[in-house]
Amino acid sequence: MYEIGRLCVKLAGRDARKKCLVVDILENNYVLIDGQTRRKKCNNNHLEPLNKVLKIKKGASHKEVVDALKKEKIEVVDSKPKQKVEKPTKQKKVDSKVEKKQVKVKKLKTEKVPTKVSEDDLKSKKISEKPKESKTKQKVEKK
Amino acid sequence: MPEPRHRSRSSRRVKTKLPGGEVVTHYKKRTPGISKCSKCGENLKGIPRVRPYKMTKLNISKKRVERPFGGNLCTKCARSLIKEEAREVS
Repeated sequence: MYEIGRLCVKLAGRDARKKCLVVDILENNYVLIDGQTRRKKCNNNHLEPLNKVLKIKKGASHKEVVDALKKEKIEVVDSKPKQKVEKPTKQKKVDSKVEKKQVKVKKLKTEKVPTKVSEDDLKSKKISEKPKESKTKQKVEKK
Repeated sequence: MPEPRHRSRSSRRVKTKLPGGEVVTHYKKRTPGISKCSKCGENLKGIPRVRPYKMTKLNISKKRVERPFGGNLCTKCARSLIKEEAREVS
């Protein structure tokens, strides 16, 4: 009943209601099918044979099956294989912050020009430091 | 006495034990019935029994079977229908 090249309709599974050709006959009630369905092993109970038998070789490739079906005006739409996309590598958020900080520090360093410390500055510093020390000393004396 | 809105039996009553040892009744909504084949009325497989608002949250592949007429007809009815279609053409 199922010869090579027999036009069939699939009844079960997600390929149901689609047309296919018998490409090869396997043992124990199984055949190899191809066409609008995926190329796969199939139980005879999951197929409904139609009137036509097309001329193809035993174990014909997918292209040959598609050409044979086109002559009978049965179009096969092949799904495109997924294109591999490179995974985006994770960039740490911390790095960007650190970079910004480093840039700031570099700028500051470049802006500051090392100058000789004048005597006036030293005097003013000493004046500012002195009262603090005196205050602490006073507190100690009080106690 | 339960609250007036809980006096009807439209909501399910579940007794739960609290950590303190107290037993309290919780009111929960009932699960919908099993979906059935529109031709022969047989129970369909692979379709979840959840409320409609939860059904909207599920993926398409989780709501129905991956087959023409999946989620409406059982396997036997779908198979016979496809056979008839094929025989009319040939």
